[in-house]
Amino acid sequence: MKYETIMGLEVHVELATKSKLFCACSTEFGSDVNENVCPVCAGMPGTSPMVNRKAIELAITAGLLTNSEISPRITFDKKNYFYPDLPAGYQLTQLFAPICKNGWVEIETDAGKKKINLVQIHLEEDAGKLIHDDWMDTTLIDFNRASVPLIEIVTRPDFRSAEEVVAFLEKLRSLLSFADVSDCKMQEGSMRCDINLSVREKGSDKLGTRTEIKNMNSLKAIAAAISYESQRHIDALETGEEVLVQETRRWDDSIGATFSMRGKEDATDYRYCPDPDIMPVFIDDEWIDAVRSNLPETAQDKFIRLTQKLGLPEYDSEIITRSKNLSNIFDETLQYYNNPKEVANWIIVELLSIAKGDNKGEDDVRIDCQKFAKLIELVDGRTINRNVGKKILSLILEEGIDPVEYVEKNKLGMINDTSLISSTIQEVLSENPKALEEYKAGSKKVHGFFVGQIMRKLGGKANPQIINKLLTEALKEI
Amino acid sequence: MGIFIEDYNVSGADTVALEDSIMQKGKQVTAGSKILDNFVSPFNATVVDRLLDGGFKISGRTVMDEFGLLKLSHDDNNTPSGAVRAVSEGISAYALCNDLFGRYREEAPQYDCCYIHPTYGTVSRYGLIPLASSLDQIGIVCRDLSQGFGLLSHLAGKDPKDGAMFPDSKYCYGKTDEKITLGIPRSVIEKADADTRESIMDFINKFSSTDIDLEYFDLYSQVMYILSSAEISNNLSRYDGIKFGYRASGYTDIDDLYTKTRSEGFGLDAKLTAIMGAVVLSKDHYGPYYEKAMKIRRLIKESINFDTYDVIVLPCKISDDPYENLALYSLAPLAGLPSVSFSYKGYGIQLVAGVKKENLLLSTWEVSMA
Ligand SMILES: [Zn+2]
Repeated sequence: MKYETIMGLEVHVELATKSKLFCACSTEFGSDVNENVCPVCAGMPGTSPMVNRKAIELAITAGLLTNSEISPRITFDKKNYFYPDLPAGYQLTQLFAPICKNGWVEIETDAGKKKINLVQIHLEEDAGKLIHDDWMDTTLIDFNRASVPLIEIVTRPDFRSAEEVVAFLEKLRSLLSFADVSDCKMQEGSMRCDINLSVREKGSDKLGTRTEIKNMNSLKAIAAAISYESQRHIDALETGEEVLVQETRRWDDSIGATFSMRGKEDATDYRYCPDPDIMPVFIDDEWIDAVRSNLPETAQDKFIRLTQKLGLPEYDSEIITRSKNLSNIFDETLQYYNNPKEVANWIIVELLSIAKGDNKGEDDVRIDCQKFAKLIELVDGRTINRNVGKKILSLILEEGIDPVEYVEKNKLGMINDTSLISSTIQEVLSENPKALEEYKAGSKKVHGFFVGQIMRKLGGKANPQIINKLLTEALKEI
Repeated sequence: MGIFIEDYNVSGADTVALEDSIMQKGKQVTAGSKILDNFVSPFNATVVDRLLDGGFKISGRTVMDEFGLLKLSHDDNNTPSGAVRAVSEGISAYALCNDLFGRYREEAPQYDCCYIHPTYGTVSRYGLIPLASSLDQIGIVCRDLSQGFGLLSHLAGKDPKDGAMFPDSKYCYGKTDEKITLGIPRSVIEKADADTRESIMDFINKFSSTDIDLEYFDLYSQVMYILSSAEISNNLSRYDGIKFGYRASGYTDIDDLYTKTRSEGFGLDAKLTAIMGAVVLSKDHYGPYYEKAMKIRRLIKESINFDTYDVIVLPCKISDDPYENLALYSLAPLAGLPSVSFSYKGYGIQLVAGVKKENLLLSTWEVSMA
């Protein structure tokens, strides 16, 4: 390839604090419109922002996880622009003294390992949301998100491919979600990213014209947008038909193309200045050490624990540690039933397939881990067979039933009675002479048919291992 | 112009008038600007709660210049501000206001009143409609400084709703027995007219004193003007016609709504200040104007160290030009220092002391009145 694509990212991550960055309003997702608003976050005159220490702690955590320097003294600055979703007419952010500097994150792609360098991580407040009411033909504003804390992670232009960008975002999501810094849900907007992209001839040390693709919130769209935008730059360089300009562009997923967001954006002078109402916050080593000592297990640590201490296969461990939610389910279920192999197996095979059928991702599965553990124990202890177990799992998810009570009440306990199973086998064999002939003629498939018939007669509750053993013996004798 | 926008018709020694920039729950609060035309305050300013807790009565809301801005546009209207009139005419015992540019500090002595400008960060600004946040400070118009400080002791003390305050929860104001040495900036006093100078010299003779040089005095007005414009322009951004206050009618789109609302809602001084602030914060001017002014502000603070003197004496007027006079009223807000102004033998005198050294001001005043 003659060209290379050079990219840097600005990743916005919503912090998992209970209250907003500068007031006590709740950050809960899905509240009623304008339910979580007070005079401070509504930008009323005469109010003063009070910094949320938890947000600072989460930003320090993000800094520690990305090998960043933590600034000993941080300040907040006003970024001035007019937009209806911005209550005060300025956004509080950090320009002059950001909380973290000079970090790096190691990523791995098919091309190998690579370090992505970070310029800085800074804290800032989110804006509200505009809602267009077509019926009234008017625009309304929901300020619930106004002043919710974000961190913006700014990388150096170290990316050369969409794979690297995706690997970085996945690594970031894993690091931050495992440490409860953020749930990093791209589809809900709690993690979103701007891509700065330029293309140059390989070997050249001159940078090409740079464009910025704003507000990307799915990995698939990011890969597609990078591919589209790189090709647009290459075409422009090759044919000269389109002149590239430095600008902000918007990705349209349904069309599969980027479009210029023409106008003011690039010409805006944000007239940054320090906010005199917020005193500088000092971060001493003691505070940093306290945050460090409370850092939870990373996905990588957990993977090592699962494979080395618990003896799980790498494949299973990889799936479980890909999602903070699955890891939590795994750890909690293990507390009630300590059989790592079975618990992992039930999560990966059964729980995820039900979730998939319900169109839920691995981060959205919710289950009562105590009931889940009881169920696995019932199957594992041969009280019920696996098929009954699967049905009960669905019922736990749908209706929250208690598996032990349910099995008792519905008499679903497994039949282990060998004489009952033996007599049922004889019945089935005598009722199906034709199939028996086929078996004698060498058809192995018929074995399965017999198992099915026997199981049906026993109401699906028989121990399949015992059926198998006794059936094989009975067939031998014929 | 009247005194009150709203008169609650109470009288007595425990009455306090509020400048229209101080929030009172359920009351229309406009800070003298059309842009806040229909704004009803959803909460009480902390000083209002503390007044009520202290058993004081609110006598009314006084008229004010739009947001308390510096009036560079000359007008012939020489009536004093509502706050000073309320006290001087005996309608209210006290008045609270935010005096950034010296209007109240200059007027109070002319109408036989006193003004207390407390140390920055000792009186909560929660519920004060901001002008320039790093300079704003609620002060008191009163007839007598010892009474004024009595009121201040009810108001001052940390408020968790104001992020820029000293941690002290309470302040006691009283006379001190410390021997007070006045610092005399002769070159500044010489700018005042002959009668004022004579009165100041008479005042000084009651104390031991030393000559001081107010370094950067020539830059005070400029620094004050640049920094306040920047902060005011920030603080005026929230008045956009979207969430509260005045909204123009007949707009075509969002930009038109902003433009019409702010064109119709703001007066000339607000517009000039907003534009000046935007200029000094713009990319090309931030360094040579805003940043430089910040540096000089720091130098000014450091230059006033109260090493060989306790209290600085200044006149209340050196010129008919408000911009030149501003220099006299810039030191206290720029350096966060407490000051008082009062009339001495018919002429205005201003005293400035170190951070939280209000007691020196009170004692100096008492000695001079004895
Ligand atoms: Zn709030």
